[in-house]
Parts: sequence; C-alpha cells; structure tokens
Amino acid sequence: MKGYALRPFLKYVSRKFIFLLVTYFIAITIVFILPRAIPGNPLSTLLRQIFQQGQANPELIRSVHKTLMEEFGLGKPWYEQYIDFITRAFKGDLGTSISSYPKKTLDLIAPVMPWTLILLIPSIITAWIIGNTLGAIAGFKRGSFTDKFTLNFSLIVSQIPYYWLGMLLIFTLSVKLHIFPGQGGYSQGTIPAFTLKFILDMLYHYILPFLSIVISALGGWAIGTRVLVIYELDADYVNFGELLGLKEKTVFSYIFRNSILPQVTGLALSLGGALGGALITEIIFNYPGTGYLLFRALSTLDYPLIQGIFIILIGSVYLANFLVDFVYALIDPRIRLGQSEGS
Amino acid sequence: MWLAMFRPLFKSKKFLVSILVFIFIVLLGLVGPIVYPVDPTGYAGPFERPPSREFPLGTDTYGGDLLAKVLNGTRTSLYIGFLTAVISMSIGIIIGPISAIKGGIVDEVLMSFTNIVLTIPNILLAILIATYLKVRSAEVIALLLGVLGWPWFARAVRSQLLSLINREYVKLSRMAGYSDLRLAFEDLIPGIATYAFMSFILFINGGILGEAGLSLIGLGPTKGVSLGLVLQWAVLMEAVRRGIWWWFVPPGVIIVALTSSLLMITTAMDEVFNPRLREK
Repeated sequence: MKGYALRPFLKYVSRKFIFLLVTYFIAITIVFILPRAIPGNPLSTLLRQIFQQGQANPELIRSVHKTLMEEFGLGKPWYEQYIDFITRAFKGDLGTSISSYPKKTLDLIAPVMPWTLILLIPSIITAWIIGNTLGAIAGFKRGSFTDKFTLNFSLIVSQIPYYWLGMLLIFTLSVKLHIFPGQGGYSQGTIPAFTLKFILDMLYHYILPFLSIVISALGGWAIGTRVLVIYELDADYVNFGELLGLKEKTVFSYIFRNSILPQVTGLALSLGGALGGALITEIIFNYPGTGYLLFRALSTLDYPLIQGIFIILIGSVYLANFLVDFVYALIDPRIRLGQSEGS
Repeated sequence: MWLAMFRPLFKSKKFLVSILVFIFIVLLGLVGPIVYPVDPTGYAGPFERPPSREFPLGTDTYGGDLLAKVLNGTRTSLYIGFLTAVISMSIGIIIGPISAIKGGIVDEVLMSFTNIVLTIPNILLAILIATYLKVRSAEVIALLLGVLGWPWFARAVRSQLLSLINREYVKLSRMAGYSDLRLAFEDLIPGIATYAFMSFILFINGGILGEAGLSLIGLGPTKGVSLGLVLQWAVLMEAVRRGIWWWFVPPGVIIVALTSSLLMITTAMDEVFNPRLREK
C-alpha cells in the first residue's frame, strides 16, 4: 500500500470501528433495560419463585438468591445497576447461571461457542461463494435456460428456512436411507479429542447441518448477484471491452469483480440473520452448539445465561461485521486509493 | 389507465403462476377453516395416524387433526405476515421521506438511528424480547418483528427520494411554496409506489418466516395455532426422527410456497417495471 493511500483507509476503518463500538454499547444497554422495563419485571418474579421453592434445599436456594440479588443489584438505584452491569460486561463477567448454579455463564458458553462457529462460518462462506458464482453466470447468460433455471431455483430455495431443510434432510437421508447420522455433533459415547477418528466422526455428523445452511443460504446470494451483473452488462466498459474483441471470459471476470463488491457488505449485514437460522438448525440436529444451550436456557428461564449468550453472540456478530468491512476496505480500490468513502 | 399499466404483468408466466399459488394459499387460510370446521386445538381422534379419508393430513401425538391445524395456522401466519408488513412499512415510510426532505441534522440523526437498528441482529433481539414476554399474542409477535424489520426499507426510500428531489418538477413545487407534507405525498411518494409495494411483499415474508423461527425455539404466540407452532410441536415430539412426515412436511411446504410465490411476484414485477431489468 502506498503512503498517500493509508490515511483514507485508516479513516474508513476507524470510523467503522467507532460505529460498531457505539452500537455494541447500545445493544448491551438494551439487554440491560429489557427485563427491567417489561411490566411485571420478570427478574423479580423469577427471584420470588426461586425463594418460594426454597423448601427443598433452603441452603442452596438462599445462595442462588443472594448471588442473583448481587449480580442484578435489584435493591440499588437503576444508574448504579447500569454502571455495574456495563463494567462487569466489559470485564467479561456475565453473571452466574441459575439452572447450572454455581457455574459462571461464560464457562457454559465457552465450550459450545466453537461448535457454532465451526458450523456457521464455513457454511455461510461456501453458500456465499457458490450463490454469487451461480448468480453471476445466470446474469451473464440472461434469458438463457441456465438463467431461468437458476433464478427460479434460487427464488424457491432462498425461502426455505435452514431448519426446515434440515428436518427434510434428516427424514430422507438419515431416518429413511440411513446414510448420515441425524443428530448430535459426534457419536454418542465418544469423548471430543484431537484424534483422526474423532475428527472423521465429527465430519460425518457435520454434513447434514452444513448442507441445510449452504443450500438454503445460496439462493439469496444468487438472486442478488444476478441483478447486479445484469446492471453491469450495460456499463460502458463492458461495451468497450466487447468492441475491442476481448474474450467472453475476460469480460465476465471484470463484471464479476465489480458486481461482487456490494455483496461483501451484504455478507456483513446478513450475519445476524444467518446466526439466528443456524441456532435453530442446531436445535433441530441436537447439535452441541450455542443454539442448543440457548434452547436449554430458554426452557429453564435461566435469564443470566440467556443474557450472557446474547452479549457474546451480538459481540461476535459485530466483530465479524467489522472484519468484513475491513476486508471490503482492502479490496475496494475507491477506499484503498481514497477517492471516495464507498457505500 | 391502471389496466394498461398492469397488462404487461399478466403476460409474464412467472407472475401468473406465482399469483395463482399465492391466491390458492390465501384461500386455504381464509376459506379453509370454514369449509373444514374442525377445532384445531381439540382432540379429534387416534394418535399419530397417517393421512386417511377421515383425517386428510393425519393426526399428531395428542390426536389433534393436522389439516385443521395447518389451515388455521396458515390463517394466523398470513395475519402475522401482513401485520408485520404494515408496521415495518409505516415506520419506513415516515423515516425515509423525512430524512430525504429535511436533510441536514435531521437526516443525519435519523440515518444514524436507522443504521444502528440495521446492524443490531434483529432475530437475536426478537428472541431476547420475546423471552421476557409471558403472554405473546399474534399481534405482539407481529409488532416485535415489524418494529425491528424496517431499516433497510427506510434507507432505500431515502436514497431513491434523494434522486427524485433534484428533478425539475419537485423544484417547481418547492418554488410554488408546497409544504413538506404536500411535497411528500404529491410529488415524491408516488414515484416510489412500485418499490414500496414490492417491499411490502418482502416484509410479509419476513413476518411469516420470523414467526416460524420464533415459534421453533418456543417463543411463538402463546395461544392459537400457527404454522410455526405446528412445526415446533413436531420438533418437540421428535416427529422427524420417528418418521411422522405428515406432521412437519405440510406446514413447511405452505411456508415455502407462500413466501417464494410472493418473492416471485416481486421479481416478475421488477422484470416488467424496471427498465434496467427488462429483457431486450
């Protein structure tokens, strides 16, 4: 990178970073306000319930109650609660779980997070690549059979929720045909370890949830890129290139590069939705990730754990957003050379 | 005039097929429960029976009639989708034009707000809010999804209006002393009517899919029947692994047919009305 280009690049990246920091702060604030703002204050209701159930094991219940009172600071004025909450969140202390007392919520989330990342990241990137390539080819050959087929296929596939496709795949390929295992992240009875046998077993269980996400997610990208490519077809450089007698392949690669750019930003914005879908897919597959933990937390109304999961997930989405924006700044020459701020 | 405008649309095969599918499903939801008046929450007969003459879509673990559930569920899902779209649309159609017409600091504040809501993962936030609500009616679910879904539309409306605002006829109206409100309603909003209509359809899809997602993790409507709730019970009762396909296939087919036919309608409209996409 040349010296004169560094400043606009840094300006762009730091602006994005500050924006995300502010949004994250707002998101944490929402997490703080919600349970306290909703009529009937679910937190104090929960505390009362725990207290009433105290007959069975008074000793334990009393200590759960005490921890919760301290962590939520329900006796204190709201601004003190808020400052406490924020400082603890930034220190990485996300409170104590109720259903798995006295475990810290962070200690419950840490082991399941990698499973979600391993499922989500490769599948959305694969879907992005396949979808965009399909869409670009369709747009380039617009009006052809390939185009019509790709478009109609993508229109339907893009509306299939990941989890429902997952259910269909489990039913056909696992229950009926017995080709793939229909649940879990690995065979029951094995202990996760870094051995070839375990990794193969994991991959075997990985295929169906992976396919559910890839297939349903690629449709949306194909539809978008197809339109972007069709828009580019009218551009002066394309006409000029064709007049010069450039090979079709060369023209295609120019068009592809230009139309793919907005889809990089699109990837950042789609992450939240993709994560939501993946969490539900995990539940369908009994996959040992964050979605499964969230489901358990929801069914036991373990509010501290639910809150903790959200702070971590929203934080990860923002971090990924920022990384995508960073990559965008690297590949968009307009930002790299400081001509404009991009979109 | 209207007829002439829409005539090319009816020449599109894609439009015709998708609108027929859509009308068919709407009829299922609206007329179905009347023609097939079985109580969707009652106990109709034997447990987990496959489709038969007596129970066209079979029964579930509690002996509930699945056809009745799917018909009534389609009605609820359509209602939630429509309501979600009305809410998202109303917010977007207020924020977008104000931002574009007022400009300056108003624009800046509104757009920062829009961008913040846009980047907060709205499904996650919907899950979090729904968690704290003990009673969730269909309307509450729609409100939740609608309030979180509007930002992309507001942004698109703003940028489209900005390109309209510099046209001659708008400048003339301004010189003639039109108020901002009159300017918006007479000169600007008609210019984005097709786009707004297409967005409305996409919002309906967002509502239908959002309801299904929330229901599956146990945060759907707390009473009544919806397509998402039918799927949720199928998952809870392990219908997939026990091979009870008549429980989880029909609601999914309706969701996908409904949302993809709506998406196809917008695509067909885009191909007809958008000069840059029209085939040469």
